[in-house]
Amino acid sequence: MSASATESVIHDIGYRRYDGPRLRRAAIVRALAWHSFRSAFGFGRSAKAKVVPVLALALLSLPAVINAVSVSQGNQRTIGYDTYIVGLRIVVMLIFVAVQAPELVSRDLRNRVLPLYFSRPLRPVDYPFAKYVAFTAACLVMIEVPVLVLYVGTIVSLHGGSAVWAETRALIPGLLVGLMWAVVMAAISLALASLTGRRAFATGAIAIFFFLTEILAVVVLHAETRGDPAALTHASTAVKVAGLFSPFTLFDGVRRWLGGTGGDQALVPDPGSFGVIYVVVLLALLAASLLGLAARYRKAALS
Amino acid sequence: MSPSPPAVIETSGLTKEYPGGVIALRGLTVTFAPGVTGLIGANGAGKSTLIKTLLGLLTPTSGTALVFGHETATDSERIRQLVGYMPEHDCLPGDVSATEFVTHMGRMSGLPATAAKERAAESLRHVGLHEERYRQIGTYSTGMRQRVKLAQALAGDPRLLLLDEPTNGLDPAGRTAMLELIERIGTEFGISIVVASHLLSEIERVCDHLVAIEGGELLRADTLSSFTGVSQTLVVEVDEGVAALLEELARRGLAPRAYQRTQVLVPLGGPGTGPGTGAADQAFDVVIGAVADLRLPLSRLEQRRHQVEELFRDESQEAGNVS
Repeated sequence: MSASATESVIHDIGYRRYDGPRLRRAAIVRALAWHSFRSAFGFGRSAKAKVVPVLALALLSLPAVINAVSVSQGNQRTIGYDTYIVGLRIVVMLIFVAVQAPELVSRDLRNRVLPLYFSRPLRPVDYPFAKYVAFTAACLVMIEVPVLVLYVGTIVSLHGGSAVWAETRALIPGLLVGLMWAVVMAAISLALASLTGRRAFATGAIAIFFFLTEILAVVVLHAETRGDPAALTHASTAVKVAGLFSPFTLFDGVRRWLGGTGGDQALVPDPGSFGVIYVVVLLALLAASLLGLAARYRKAALS
Repeated sequence: MSPSPPAVIETSGLTKEYPGGVIALRGLTVTFAPGVTGLIGANGAGKSTLIKTLLGLLTPTSGTALVFGHETATDSERIRQLVGYMPEHDCLPGDVSATEFVTHMGRMSGLPATAAKERAAESLRHVGLHEERYRQIGTYSTGMRQRVKLAQALAGDPRLLLLDEPTNGLDPAGRTAMLELIERIGTEFGISIVVASHLLSEIERVCDHLVAIEGGELLRADTLSSFTGVSQTLVVEVDEGVAALLEELARRGLAPRAYQRTQVLVPLGGPGTGPGTGAADQAFDVVIGAVADLRLPLSRLEQRRHQVEELFRDESQEAGNVS
């Protein structure tokens, strides 16, 4: 206030210093992650930006709602917590990450905002880290909310503690499978989206990656199994290898290796001891995506 | 501020060699005092590299740089808390309002949510965006966008602003407004400023000090007044006879030098011209006399201020030795 020493200007209250508290780096990263998480659902953006996330979540929750109605009329729960409706989940999540991952990272590249972040107390790795945490959380919401709707919709019609406990025990693997999907899909889609500032290209690259790899895996699986991979009890090595081609079959391979059920919602046959390879390949894919993402921004900080 | 403030920026033997052998800074040793300092140099002189090194985004190949006494190589996060940076290029999203954007950038500077909102409103008011601040940035003119860029740098209450070509792309009125704003921030807000530019004539009116670099080396660092003595120049353009004119003008006591193929530059305030406002008139008379006596076809005679590249190109070695 003392800085406004000039005598003439009355309307100008002058420059005021800020001497309040300052956030530490960790708190800034948290603020960026929260900001990004909101933007993954279009909050703080126009109404148009909310269309895809809201529709996707509604679509993915629909089977759980139908289940709740059905269970309330005395029927059994028919949807598995760990498989959900896998075909629907693949399609909806593919669209969600293809549209929303560019929202988180390609926008900033396109608008060349990154130098503004990097000239602040953040370190270059903090930016992709915050984006990754935010997008994993967003994918988790997309996947787990329907699963939780399924759970709640089921237990409200149940009677007795043991029935609820059995239901809860079935739920937990389902939540963990969802976590696996979210952690890996967020990493892959952000790594791909960070390669270009052109949103359309980023969306295309993500969609093509997930779609083509899935087609490839499914075609090989079907050719080897004559159409019904889940029916196989003893899969050939070719079938097991085919499951490595796509993130979605990898998820399912890991799920089954950990004891997940077969049935018509399974994408791959029980891999047996080969399941370790599924885990290793999935972790390698995750690591490669995250390292690629970090490297991308280490380079961006210098340009 | 303390009575005798220490240097804002001090570099010592600062060298940056990019992979591939391009040397952007060569042993740069220079001190920036508090106040407004112009950092002048042609494109590619190393201005942006210097700024990025000061922000700790580039690691120098050798040498050191201190900002407020903090070493850039080891303490860059602390430095980035104290510094606001306005990049040369466009860096704004089109689909959010200026208020939202500057608030977010204030958060990223470490302000709590409420403080960020307040400071965003204040910063935007200081740069002269008031009612418009709720509009989407995409609808702004170039001048307004430059102001938003300045406001986001100001939001975190920096002790030092690094402005890279802040008048880029602005029309003359916009330039004047931006320069007035910079001057006001420097003098009234008590924030030290480094303004990088390739146009000396433009920034000299707002600067207390000037630092000129070329090819990554220091040409000269001095107070503004010692620069302006040589920044006034007579440009004499003749279709032929440059050599003869050079000789004749030197004989008459001026210090001419050839520039491009058909021009002779006569620095004012130098030898053969008096100090003050009479200098130009006196030199005019001498030049016209010389051109008439030599019967040369004079096509242009005007007084103007140098662009920095003209000012230093021919005497860079000499100037480099001085500082």
